[in-house]
Amino acid sequence: MEHIYQYSWIIPFVPLPVPILIGMGLLFFPTATKNLRRMWTFPNILLLSIVMIFSVDLAIQQINRSSIYQYVWSWTINNDFSFEFGYFIDSLTSIMLILITTVGILVLIYSDNYMSHDQGYLRFFAYMSLFNTSMLGLVTSSNLIQIYIFWELVGMCSYLLIGFWFTRPVAANACQKAFVTNRIGDFGLLLGIIGFYWITGSFEFQDLFEIFNNLIYNNEVNFLFVTLCASLLFAGAVAKSAQFPFHVWLPDAMEGPTPISALIHAATMVAAGIFLVARLLPLFIVIPYIMNLISLLGIITVLLGATLALAQKDIKRGLAYSTMSQLGYMMLALGMGSYRAALFHLITHAYSKALLFLGSGSIIHSMEAIVGYSPDKSQNMVFMGGLRKYVPITKIAFLVGTLSLCGIPPLACFWSKDEILSDSWLYSPIFAIIAWSTAGLTAFYMFRIYLLTFEGHLNIHFQNYSGKKNSSFYSIKLWGKEEQKTINRNFRLVPLLTMNNNERASLFCKKSYRIRIGGNVKRGALITITNFGTKKAFSFSYPHESDNTMLFPMLVLVLFTLFVGALSIPFNQEGIRLDILSKLLTPSINLLHQNSNDFEDWYQFLTNATFSVSIACFGIFTAFLLYKPFYSSLQNLNLLNSFEKRGPKRILLDKIIYLIYDWSYNRGYIDTFYSISLTKGIRGLAELTHFFDRRVIDGITN
Amino acid sequence: MNYFPWLTIIVVLPVFAGSLIFFLPHRGNKLIKWYTICICLLELLITTYAFSYHFRLDDPLIQLAEDYKWINFFDFYWRVGIDGLSIGPILLTGFITTLATLAAWPVTRDSRLFYFLMLAMYSGQTGPFSSRDLLLFFIMWEFELIPVYLLLSMWGGKKRLYSATKFILYTAGGSIFLLIGVLGIGLYGSNEPTLNFETLANQSYPVALEIIFYIGFLIAFAVKSPIIPLHTWLPDTHGEAHYSTCMLLAGILLKMGAYGLVRINMELLPHAHSIFSPWLIIVGTIQIIYAASTSLGQRNLKKRIAYSSISHMGFIIIGIGSITDTGLNGAILQIISHGFIGAALFFLAGTSYDRMRLVYLDEMGGMAIPLPKIFTMFGILSMASLALPGMSGFVAELIVFFGIITSQKYFLMPKIIITFVMAIGMILTPIYSLSMSRQMFYGYKLFNAPSSYFFDSGPRELFVSISIFLPVIGIGIYPDFVLSLSGEKVETILYNYFYR
Repeated sequence: MEHIYQYSWIIPFVPLPVPILIGMGLLFFPTATKNLRRMWTFPNILLLSIVMIFSVDLAIQQINRSSIYQYVWSWTINNDFSFEFGYFIDSLTSIMLILITTVGILVLIYSDNYMSHDQGYLRFFAYMSLFNTSMLGLVTSSNLIQIYIFWELVGMCSYLLIGFWFTRPVAANACQKAFVTNRIGDFGLLLGIIGFYWITGSFEFQDLFEIFNNLIYNNEVNFLFVTLCASLLFAGAVAKSAQFPFHVWLPDAMEGPTPISALIHAATMVAAGIFLVARLLPLFIVIPYIMNLISLLGIITVLLGATLALAQKDIKRGLAYSTMSQLGYMMLALGMGSYRAALFHLITHAYSKALLFLGSGSIIHSMEAIVGYSPDKSQNMVFMGGLRKYVPITKIAFLVGTLSLCGIPPLACFWSKDEILSDSWLYSPIFAIIAWSTAGLTAFYMFRIYLLTFEGHLNIHFQNYSGKKNSSFYSIKLWGKEEQKTINRNFRLVPLLTMNNNERASLFCKKSYRIRIGGNVKRGALITITNFGTKKAFSFSYPHESDNTMLFPMLVLVLFTLFVGALSIPFNQEGIRLDILSKLLTPSINLLHQNSNDFEDWYQFLTNATFSVSIACFGIFTAFLLYKPFYSSLQNLNLLNSFEKRGPKRILLDKIIYLIYDWSYNRGYIDTFYSISLTKGIRGLAELTHFFDRRVIDGITN
Repeated sequence: MNYFPWLTIIVVLPVFAGSLIFFLPHRGNKLIKWYTICICLLELLITTYAFSYHFRLDDPLIQLAEDYKWINFFDFYWRVGIDGLSIGPILLTGFITTLATLAAWPVTRDSRLFYFLMLAMYSGQTGPFSSRDLLLFFIMWEFELIPVYLLLSMWGGKKRLYSATKFILYTAGGSIFLLIGVLGIGLYGSNEPTLNFETLANQSYPVALEIIFYIGFLIAFAVKSPIIPLHTWLPDTHGEAHYSTCMLLAGILLKMGAYGLVRINMELLPHAHSIFSPWLIIVGTIQIIYAASTSLGQRNLKKRIAYSSISHMGFIIIGIGSITDTGLNGAILQIISHGFIGAALFFLAGTSYDRMRLVYLDEMGGMAIPLPKIFTMFGILSMASLALPGMSGFVAELIVFFGIITSQKYFLMPKIIITFVMAIGMILTPIYSLSMSRQMFYGYKLFNAPSSYFFDSGPRELFVSISIFLPVIGIGIYPDFVLSLSGEKVETILYNYFYR
């Protein structure tokens, strides 16, 4: 079966013809190409399915006989330097391949419907295929230069897709911010690659690891320099995976279409950072400081992401922060050296989060018809609520995703998160406590999103009286407070780069324009709302369930979410402990479980599971308490009253909660800090050099 | 070997054919346009034919050489010939000039003179690249200034006379140093003036004299290249000139300075070069950062692109200064690659200016809807300009990076710092180029001006931009196209540094 390995170089190139053909078609024969629009989706999905079959086959090969296959061609030949191209297949690659292709196909099917009314339907599919190509190239690449090339290409695709709706100035700013932030990471990556080339003289992974280990063994390297290079290399992964200092782009990236958020900014591209660290783990593992740095940044991101997700109003932003926090878990696991747990969480999280994003896309799609096509409205959870009745299938899918992410037992993320948590106890108790309590926070914010979206009544219809009653209703009170702040926020948070007044004006212009389109489409519905007011409007305009093409991928993802956890369930077979995942990853590194027998393992597993499930339940319960829909909260009035009675303590609690919400709502003030310090700094520098250039250098000649 | 004078024909044909324009019957612009295009294409075909059949890649020596005594009186020879170093720029010249002529289609005022000047530029640009004689090099160098000056002063924006004057003052100032250097080298030593590159390359000078010559040439080429602080003519000129002139300026003329640095400073004066190369690298690094951050502060679209090309020139200087095989190859690759990218960016900026009639970036916005094709091409090429992998700029910059770190001339710490600062330039590049494309195309704007109906690019403009784009991506995917041309020659040049 060597053939499969021999021909696997073709993997990244299979989806490539589609973007080339669509691009050429759009440039040369725009009308003809646009008329064929639905036709283009078929080859797209077909080619990706071919890759999927291929990669499943590869994975089966890997399970049967775990081997590493590498093949290189020379790219440039010169006497002094030569770059090589090649591919490198091992278990990590095959896992990533399956992940990318499955999520990719489902998202493609989904977006066929989601984007069907968009002007840029074809452009969207061209970008998507380009992204798939470069992502597949990234995971199969055999040396660091190749990784860098595809790394940048993936970043470019993300730039293009975030800025997909280029008429929105917000999207334009967001895509630039994403690209520049990623570029800072790439800067580190490139320097790190160059540094390691300097030390070892090689780019190929296996040579690199071998030479480097020899050097370390013989103590022939400058330790400081190695640490510097490794941390620069790690910076690339930090930026791509939205870890702490460079996380600012990810929430803004939600300006892109929702399928993109599902595919790129939840499942695959942000996992590229994890992939890189996992790939280079043999390198990092011999440098202890780096491992500490990785786990430290991981834990910071876990906590930060979870706290920032607490008060997001935009459903997708909330999910984005949650993604960031989950990626932090993976980084933490990698930093602890539990490679297996990190990859397992990567897989389970990818499926669950893709499911959540597709669910939120479906919600947005159904809300858009009612509140208008502005992302400020259709993604705003304030206007949602009570969608349970209208979109039942989406609700089930979303609930499964939420439960999975919270770590409720039979679902996917439970297994992986539990593994990380139990490993973290072995690593360091402080980290473990933080990780463990963040699991509670995760449950809290996920259920907050779920409850605000699906439970209660459709808030858009009684906005006016929610304002009156907010004194008695805790969560709406919070919203009320925040809504006053939104206006401030828009002007206070200066976007990363110049957004001049013209554009800002045009933003509003555009917004009203879009709403007007929405009005035209659904004129009847809108008029009913305005005329009949609150109660009667229910029967006329309500969100509708999405089409089957959108529901199908979600249901498939539900299945994945339900059963992916089984990957790591050990099933005893002829006395040997056997699970698929560890079979895939046996030869890899495992720092923490050197010797553990079955019984102890089970015992530990049970205790840890109880702990994590209980904290998750606690989080869910708190969320219920705070965000319980208005009508049902009347029944629990006693409980609320008991809270009220506590008087001064409550005020203190209130203050703390407000503080947290404030911090969270303003994204921890990190964005503001960046925009003030960096953007102003760069702009100031630009002004200064411009002035210098004009007055001094040019002044002399004039 | 055959002795058909291919190079002489290549150099002389355009200007002679161009002078025939004045004898063409007055039958409107169309005839002149087609005539010029045909001449350009013919020239390009001759060039490619001659190079593909009579140039051997594995031979680092001069090929297609010709040697005629021109003026007996002071030993002036017509010596032309090409080697691995000059074949790339000559092909680039042919390609870009042809496309620039095609891009200048809308020019109607004084079209006779304009097209003649374009053809004269053609000759003037191939001349320096193919000359093998120092004095001939100088004369060609000067000859090419005349059409540029006229093109700058007669077609373009409002302040064109100011910028043309500035250009001519700067370059004339540079030329004086060039002349001094040429005469100094030529008259040094023997009784007979020696101006042949081959004999000069093997000559050695006292160190002080060599340094003086080096400085002279450096100033001349620094004006052309440009190297800071002698760069201020460039943004002004680019800001005002017609875009086809800009294509020539950015695509070819800037490269002449870099070519001169390699050809004369590196090849003829190796000792001084190894003394000066640390300074070159420092200047190049500063230039990358300085020009990139100045570019951010520009409001004028074309000036912003002009500063970006100054910033990219920094990589060439660093590559030249690194004195490694890798670095020099990278510099040559960057010469070619920026020739394409810079020309294409100016072309697209010009075509969108034709439609918008707006120069300042903060007045623009929302052009992506009416002009999707220009938007696509501009987006792709600004990606190419910020060195996206898969495009030629990335390969060139990467090779320069490796050139600097593999260089044995410098110590660890300076190399780290230089690499670090260069890489900061990598962060600044996307900031200015993406914010440029964002300000032009993104967003939404209602065009309420009465004459605001736009046509998207027609087939001609699409053809020009795509035919520039293809080599960019071709080199990016398979850089050996260019590297194989220059590889052997680069080794011979560097041989001097290590075994002498």
